[in-house]
Amino acid sequence: MRGLRFTAFALSASLATQAAAEDVRFVTCPIYRDTDSGRKSGCWLADDPETGVRYDVSQSMARPHWAYGVLVEGNVSDDTEDTCGGIRLLPVRTSVLYDMECPRHMIAAEGYPGRPLPFAERYVMPVFVERDLPEPPYEDTSFSLVYDWNDDFITYNHSDYFFDIAALWIEAAQPARVIVTGWADTKPVEISGRMMAEDPDVARRRAEVVYESLLRRGVPADKIEVRWETHAQPADVEAADGLTESSRRRVDIQGIME
Amino acid sequence: MQAQNRTKARTMRERTLGGNLALGAAAGAVLLASAYASASEEGDGLDRWWAPGEGRTFPELLDYDNEHGTLRTLLVGGPLETDGHPFFEPIGPNGRACVTCHQPADGMSLSTASVRAQWDATGGADPLFAAYDGSNCPTLPQGERASHSLLLDRGLIRIERPWPPAQWNGAGVEPDFAIEVVRDPNGCNSGAEYGPEAGVISVYRRPRPIGNMKYLLAVGFDLDPKQGVALPRDPETGVYLSGNLMADNRVSTLRDQMFDAGSTHLGMLDRMSDEDRHRIEAFELSIFVAQQRGGGGEVDDGGATGGPATLRDSEPGELGALGFPVWGEFAAWEEIDEEDRARLTPEEVAFRESVARGARIFRERTFLVSDAAGLTTQMGFGNPFRVACKMCHNMTRMGNDVAPGQVDLGTTTLPFADHFDDLPLFRITCLNDPHPYYGRQILTYDPGFALTTGRCADVGKITLQSMRGLAARAPYFSNGSAQDLHAVVDYYDRRYNIGYSEQEKQDLVNLMSVL
Repeated sequence: MRGLRFTAFALSASLATQAAAEDVRFVTCPIYRDTDSGRKSGCWLADDPETGVRYDVSQSMARPHWAYGVLVEGNVSDDTEDTCGGIRLLPVRTSVLYDMECPRHMIAAEGYPGRPLPFAERYVMPVFVERDLPEPPYEDTSFSLVYDWNDDFITYNHSDYFFDIAALWIEAAQPARVIVTGWADTKPVEISGRMMAEDPDVARRRAEVVYESLLRRGVPADKIEVRWETHAQPADVEAADGLTESSRRRVDIQGIME
Repeated sequence: MQAQNRTKARTMRERTLGGNLALGAAAGAVLLASAYASASEEGDGLDRWWAPGEGRTFPELLDYDNEHGTLRTLLVGGPLETDGHPFFEPIGPNGRACVTCHQPADGMSLSTASVRAQWDATGGADPLFAAYDGSNCPTLPQGERASHSLLLDRGLIRIERPWPPAQWNGAGVEPDFAIEVVRDPNGCNSGAEYGPEAGVISVYRRPRPIGNMKYLLAVGFDLDPKQGVALPRDPETGVYLSGNLMADNRVSTLRDQMFDAGSTHLGMLDRMSDEDRHRIEAFELSIFVAQQRGGGGEVDDGGATGGPATLRDSEPGELGALGFPVWGEFAAWEEIDEEDRARLTPEEVAFRESVARGARIFRERTFLVSDAAGLTTQMGFGNPFRVACKMCHNMTRMGNDVAPGQVDLGTTTLPFADHFDDLPLFRITCLNDPHPYYGRQILTYDPGFALTTGRCADVGKITLQSMRGLAARAPYFSNGSAQDLHAVVDYYDRRYNIGYSEQEKQDLVNLMSVL
């Protein structure tokens, strides 16, 4: 971490939006339905404890763990085809809650086909594939990564895609400064009867993982300023897929041309 | 002594040829005696064991028979005079060379068949059986077979890892777990010199093959999806590090691997010279190893593209899901044309068809993977999730992982690991968060990657390795727990409750036997 300038600051409220909250947001124990339409095609189901409605959360890019609780955040999909045995949520994000143990529950396919995993839309090409750099002109730009609850992991086929976009832009634009700001959703909120607030330290951890990753992508250390902040506000960023509450849990990467 | 070695080596070969004609009836897995008889022998031919300092010529093409057929090693730019070459010379004081544990006949690794032959040939006096790491523990009476049982029975070399862990550059790592010795059948981990009391942990592992290195060094993506962070780079060269060289990823460059091996296995007191290091690295990057001949004849015949020449001539690092399918080399054997059927024996045709089925099973037969750290934790796939073998063994033509391959398949850790009485057993206590699958306490024969990172979450993770040359280098898994290819398939079948049919098992075995 040498060469860093760590500064706590309050990001401009201009990032915040007044978007509506997700259709559903609840905590429950997940259910795995063992459908088989090829690789990674098993279904994940989640029952909302408030309503008893069973949702299909299989389209989450980071899927549940059958031994732990899951925070479900999502919108009801327009696609009403029931391939798993639940109302399909899309977009949807599921966060594993390691402090909530659950009985492992797997059910049979029971005639449900599951859904073949499509090739990820947000896929980082392998290094052996030559990638195009963004074209000029370059101006101050912001990129964001969105995270699962209390997590600082850059997720394969999702947040790595947005990180890659940022890294390629920085490589092409050569900004004078790069400001990395980690955010944590630390304001307590009751979800399904649980008071939940993110660990404030996850804001630092998120920022430092992105900082380290930028270094490894060749961004000079003296160009990067690392900050972290709590009490995050929602942001209208692509990586959140319109899920307002989850957009609080993010890292912003700002390229300043000056 | 050298003449005696060669005589014994011949004897061992002859015995091997005579005793392994049938692989299994289910898939017509038959090896023909003629396949052995016609195996080309180059260089010094029948002398399987390469002793340090022999000064042989390493030819451009080198074939050795094994129980499944013939292994071929290609040396780009060969032949090489090994006289004075640091890979082949005993550059340390213990009489070993790199070649001691990276034998050409054994796919540049070390088979227990070779170990036992060398024990018999030398009465245990070969430098391979050096007390430091070629015995179960240096404190045991040397010269007795029982003191070297782990090497003789499982092909295991003792590895000392610092405790608490240290990074490759010596920097300390503060572990988030405590480690206790539950059982120590060999006396190293409970003694004063080779266990935690001395600031080390003794674990026992198979030598990994030196060959096809451009694939093991290749990088698939900028990001390590198992760690959720961009790949590290070599601080000296700036190139991305594949993380696929060592079982516990304790070093990530050939340079550091050589320093590590020189100071431990070769007993070198001084750092290996740059000249020696460069010569060894050049040799290792020039070696391509694969099975060339099996139960279906030549593996690059009838439209198939197996064998080392394809490895030599192909680009490394390709992800099978995006490009050439994993083990697509044998796709042409799915439909063998009439002309080939006419010239092949029925057994050869059946074997080729079995190999082709095995390749499809490898890619397409899904099963439920659960509780496998590195796969089912944080990667985003969920726990459990349904995949096929190629999920992890995803690099085209090699079957290693294009991402750093640290995964816990349970081979070293209870309750998934097979039961062993001859290995040390450790109790890991996670000091912060519990392990997501094992909980607060873990019983393991080898903590693996956790001895590098110091993280409880990494206990039991072992780096996936190449699947090439398997036929020549039994036993398998990092602790030699699978004595043959059938045992490998059986382990996975048990571990993940796959339910392979006997035919599917045999098809997979036949596939692995020709890689």
